[in-house]
Amino acid sequence: MMRRSLFLFVLICTQALVRAQSLAPTGHVQDAAPVLVAFTNATLHLDARTVVPKGTLVVRNGVVVAAGEKVQVPQGAMVRDLQGLHVWPALIEPYSGFGLAPDKPEDRRNEQRGAHHWNRALRAEAHAHELLRPDGKQAGELRRQGFALVLTHRMDGIARGSSAAVLLNDAAVPKAVARPDLAAHFSFRKGSSPDDYPSSQMGAIALWRQAVLDARWYAAQPMPPETDAVLAALALQLNGRVVAEATDRNELLRWAGLLNEFKLAGIIKGAGDEYARLEQVRATGLPLIVPVNFPEAYDVEDPYDAQEVSYARLKHWEMAPYNAAILDTSGVVFALSTYGRKDLKDLWKDMRRMVACGLDSARAIEAFTSEPARLFGLDDRFGALRPGMAANFLITSGHLLAERNIIHETWVDGLRFVNEDPDRTALKGNYELNLQDGIWNLEVSGEGEKLEAFVRRADDPDSLRVKARLDRSGTIISLSFAPPSDPRAVIRLSGTIHGGGGLWDGQGQRPGGQWFHWSALRRAEKNGARKSGRDSTAAKVQEPPGPVPQPLVGFGWTEAPTQGTVIFRHATVWTNTAQGILRNTDVCIHEGRIKAVGQGLDVHVLFPGKKKPEVTEVNATGIHLTCGIIDEHSHIAIARGVNEGAMAVSSQVRIGDVVNPDDINIYRNLAGGVTTVQLLHGSANPIGGQSALIKLRWGQAADSLLIRDAAGHIKFALGENVKQSNWGSGSRFPRSRMGVEQQFYEAFHRAREYDQAQRRWNELRPRDRIGQVPPRIDLQLEALAEILRGERFITCHSYVQSEIDMLMHVADSMGFTVNTFTHILEGYKVARKMQQHGVSASTFSDWWAYKFEVYDAIPYNAALLHQHGVNTGINSDDAEMSRRLNQEAAKTMKYGGVSPEEAWKMVTLNPARMLKLDHRLGTVEPGKDADLVLWSADPLSIAARVERTYVDGVCYFDRTKDAAQRATVAAERDRIVRAMMAAKADGAPTRKARREHQHLWHCDDIGEEEQQHLDHDAH
Amino acid sequence: MRIERALPILALLLGLGATGVMAQQPVPAPAQQRSVLVTGGTVHVGDGRVIDEGAVGFRNGKVDFVGYAYGVTATYDTIIQVAGKHVYPGFIAADATLGLEEIEAVRASVDKQDIGRFEPEMRTLIAYKADSRVVPTVRTNGVLIAQIAPRGLVIGGTSSIVQLDAWDWEQAAVKVDDAVHLNWPAAYQRSGWWAEPGETDNEKRDERAQRLEELRTFFRRAKAYAQVKVPEAYDLRLEAMRGLFDGSKALFVNANAAKEITEAVQFAKAEGVKRLVIVGGHDAWRVADLLRENKVDVVLRRLHSLPMRPEEDIDLPYRLPALLKERGVRFCLGYMGDMETMGLRNLPFLAGTAAAYGLSPEDALRSITLDAAAVLGVDDRMGSLAVGKDATLIVSAGDALDMRGNQVVHAFIQGRRIVLDDHHQQLYRMYKQRLEQGQ
Repeated sequence: MMRRSLFLFVLICTQALVRAQSLAPTGHVQDAAPVLVAFTNATLHLDARTVVPKGTLVVRNGVVVAAGEKVQVPQGAMVRDLQGLHVWPALIEPYSGFGLAPDKPEDRRNEQRGAHHWNRALRAEAHAHELLRPDGKQAGELRRQGFALVLTHRMDGIARGSSAAVLLNDAAVPKAVARPDLAAHFSFRKGSSPDDYPSSQMGAIALWRQAVLDARWYAAQPMPPETDAVLAALALQLNGRVVAEATDRNELLRWAGLLNEFKLAGIIKGAGDEYARLEQVRATGLPLIVPVNFPEAYDVEDPYDAQEVSYARLKHWEMAPYNAAILDTSGVVFALSTYGRKDLKDLWKDMRRMVACGLDSARAIEAFTSEPARLFGLDDRFGALRPGMAANFLITSGHLLAERNIIHETWVDGLRFVNEDPDRTALKGNYELNLQDGIWNLEVSGEGEKLEAFVRRADDPDSLRVKARLDRSGTIISLSFAPPSDPRAVIRLSGTIHGGGGLWDGQGQRPGGQWFHWSALRRAEKNGARKSGRDSTAAKVQEPPGPVPQPLVGFGWTEAPTQGTVIFRHATVWTNTAQGILRNTDVCIHEGRIKAVGQGLDVHVLFPGKKKPEVTEVNATGIHLTCGIIDEHSHIAIARGVNEGAMAVSSQVRIGDVVNPDDINIYRNLAGGVTTVQLLHGSANPIGGQSALIKLRWGQAADSLLIRDAAGHIKFALGENVKQSNWGSGSRFPRSRMGVEQQFYEAFHRAREYDQAQRRWNELRPRDRIGQVPPRIDLQLEALAEILRGERFITCHSYVQSEIDMLMHVADSMGFTVNTFTHILEGYKVARKMQQHGVSASTFSDWWAYKFEVYDAIPYNAALLHQHGVNTGINSDDAEMSRRLNQEAAKTMKYGGVSPEEAWKMVTLNPARMLKLDHRLGTVEPGKDADLVLWSADPLSIAARVERTYVDGVCYFDRTKDAAQRATVAAERDRIVRAMMAAKADGAPTRKARREHQHLWHCDDIGEEEQQHLDHDAH
Repeated sequence: MRIERALPILALLLGLGATGVMAQQPVPAPAQQRSVLVTGGTVHVGDGRVIDEGAVGFRNGKVDFVGYAYGVTATYDTIIQVAGKHVYPGFIAADATLGLEEIEAVRASVDKQDIGRFEPEMRTLIAYKADSRVVPTVRTNGVLIAQIAPRGLVIGGTSSIVQLDAWDWEQAAVKVDDAVHLNWPAAYQRSGWWAEPGETDNEKRDERAQRLEELRTFFRRAKAYAQVKVPEAYDLRLEAMRGLFDGSKALFVNANAAKEITEAVQFAKAEGVKRLVIVGGHDAWRVADLLRENKVDVVLRRLHSLPMRPEEDIDLPYRLPALLKERGVRFCLGYMGDMETMGLRNLPFLAGTAAAYGLSPEDALRSITLDAAAVLGVDDRMGSLAVGKDATLIVSAGDALDMRGNQVVHAFIQGRRIVLDDHHQQLYRMYKQRLEQGQ
């Protein structure tokens, strides 16, 4: 016993000295001899799957020289017997900001910038190893849980610079950094950047995309026109490993798309909700870093409070522990991380929970050891215990995932850090304390350093139990107490621990100074009292609780609807063609298209061949059948910001980058008969962002919502919003309608020159290009050049006649046509000129008086425009109104006397024309997309309700199914709420229920910060 | 006796002179001189009854006949034939901001709320702009009576009920200072948004408890003050609260969540408030028993809203009227929320939506006529077509609760035939000329 303790002391001292060697000159005699240690008789885990029952590990100067079963202890080695203990490779934390605090925006306003990028959210030049200031406290906490190595980067900005692998050895930074510049890190968050741009996620994506292009262009220049340390660093990084941070599954897929776009090898830090888009996540083929961080349960005892917690949150609480197992089963490669946890206290409890939820236990350990090592190219030195690798290992009492396991020691680079000394014998137990003149019972309780002791006379069970003072120093023990009869008659004992702690003996002194010999002998434990606890690795695996709806919200599909062949019989069909409204008519849809429209359709005629599809017949008597509604102006299903309003021209941003397929408003819109929408950028600046045209294929991921071959569209805006009349500090140009005009000319002249430069380059013969650098790709000007080339179409937010005239003049003089004026509330004043220019009008039915520029807005606008030859539509710009666009269309009958058929076209065919999709959408005729709506009554009547909505022949809304789904959701909610209450009763931490308020975007919402504001509409 | 069949536009042109006077507000009508019989149309009484080929007669501003056209025995100076058309009581908007804001984003034109948390003394009536350009656009869709209510932080002020054809607010007033309006402190925080909710902290919860305590203290002070007829010092705030404790004023409380509504009902009861109306009432159907037992009415939030919670039934807002009807709670429809002032003209279509989602058409009509009058405490004078009540009615070419049918061709307020022209029709006529000139 003594021998071993002494040996350890020597070991620690020598190691510390050895480690202290550095490139720095030394002023004293060096400890030149190598430190050679052998650990024997351990249950030695070489990696998560290879275990040697009686293994030996030999470490020399912090490096493993041998590990295995038949390993000879080399001569000159110090030997430590680890009988009964386990040895594991130490853990690696792959995603951390260890020792690298983010900056504060206020500190950066006046920072010295040098030759750096114009946007301060790009900080690619930062190297973790240069900035590192290790945090000793955090290092200790990590080591206590078994970590020896962290991969850290400064979590600040969109381009965050490179990470370093840092040993948790409390050494000076040059010694602690095991490897610099491991990977380049990116996020969608601008962090401490004091710049306004980007203010939205699409802006962050656009900035990143341009930066990647610029970095490559910069690196190709023999003599760049300006010096930029950020682009120089970025160019180098893009050839290496890239790590991107996502805060939810949709961001994860966004990153996957971007990495693919630039052919970058990446790792994505996910959010733990990957199970909710499993198929798409798997299909990316990218490795992930997945946090071990489960949401807390909610306080849901009060049924009203419970109501406020959405099904998505309830279900995520239930599913989060299954995430890793589900990913693993699907073949997704991942490392685990403690990122985002409040603390590390229950890390191993959570790990066991994941295993109980089906994660293979070896996989769980690999995900913190060999997997991160492999992903970051560190597997030559870290993540396992093989010759040549760093001596980063753990000494534990049992299996890492066992419930009662104790991580006794964490060895980092050959340095020992003790959490709970295995050689300090546990003293807990009941002893028979023999003081010669009497026998006492001694109870020792507590863990580690915090020991408590009580004594009581053994011969008198009714005697008082008194507290004793117990001190331990190595194997020396001292104990003192006063008998209950006389508090001043303190008995003082000093002695030595023997025999694994079971026997103590020594000398004592009674009051009066009399010495005597005493001993304490531990009583045998009762059977079972020292059970080492359940080994959760062997515990019964819980099955995931039911299917995960797509998307993960209350009205998601657990069984996705499919395309079929359907004949609707005896419907009233609003064809939107010269045929008008047909009564008692059949419509057949097949393979996502309309196959036939006519009376008494015959299956045998429709499908003459031998192979007939399975046809579903729908009796649509009394039903009005129309094509789907097309909303030309919508802001639903957009994630994190609808405006990139920090710049007057933001044509580089793309709504298509930030489509949110989980927005419940997609489903609600379907229930209002909407099948196609144009997702528009907001109206905060004269030239906004590129639109996304989507079909409401509820349940599908973002990419699958986009209409693939649709023409490109872009949002422009005029008037009060762009000149910031009602928002903003007023420092951004333009501040008047005069400025808006000049901004357009400026933009289009730059775009024209840009286009010419690109064209000149493209026309060069290959040999003329030798030694030349191609002109810089500018995504902002590229989009504008597309307008000039007639390849991208403008939807312009507009109100008053002066500005409408102005933009048409700009377009005429620059040689393009404005495609659509949206809102266009004074369009009625200039309808003739609009008709001559050939622009469409997409307006509100009856909005006015919400700002000064709409004081002359009239509900007769649509009728007047329509009656004077302008292709006119009614749009929503509102998530609620979009589900009643049929009612809004009917208002054109009230205000201006438009016929029912023409009124109906205002929300179908006419917007299809604006979107250049009228070859596919907007009418009910053979060959068109089977985007159909079944109405309970004349769709323009207030009584009309949608019974079913089809997109591409798939029934995405069905009133009957919806009713069933309501019951299912209610039952599911109840089940999970009860599980939460049970968890709370078991002592799980909880949080208060809160209302989930969805921010509904409108044109003039500025930036994603807007989301943080409390809405005032309810209270 | 003069028989009118002329198109309303003709009457209008006669009234204004055919010179095309632009951008003028319709001239308020003088008191009823000649007796009028509106006859031959479908009369929707407002109390649930419908009279086909009915007639409504009125003189001196009051209705003196409602029944089948063939039953008319008295003589009338003017007989208006409305065969094929629909006659309704003028629609009544509760909790409206009409006349308090002209242009939402132009601060100078907005008088909906003042500063301070407890401001019952703020009277909307004196800020009501009788010649607002918005008001005529609302009348032309059939809304003739409105409760003009304040907004505000906690207690916003005191509302009044007005009719929508007047030279000034004094003439407009139908019932002065009818109710105090209170926004109940929200029970649930809504920080962040659904994809990224902010964290709840205890501090905020304590803050709410404190707010409720402040509110209670304020009401207790007001009640004590109200017990003294001539106070030692005249307190404007507490004076404005006086009517709550003797029932001469109602307390309108904006609350949507079941917990908030329950709290508000218990609060009003405990503090001796005689008449309580819940405004908003999204969850009112869940606490229907409580509301019914305590005779608490509801002004429902705008039905054309999204569900309040992510997986509520997608059509729940549309079905709220039917749910309250089934449960025996009296209610009317409101239009509060974004663009509430200019959007108020869509009030009849809210009723139409209620009819499409489970309410009978005549019950839907009640929710913007008789029941609205009852909620506002003026059903003895208006809200239905009944002998002795104000002759405030409209004639629509079709179903006035449907966008396609809502064409108000005649409207009377207190027997006065009002001009159905507005800013929009004027601009419509003006620019039609431009376009017809080919410019």
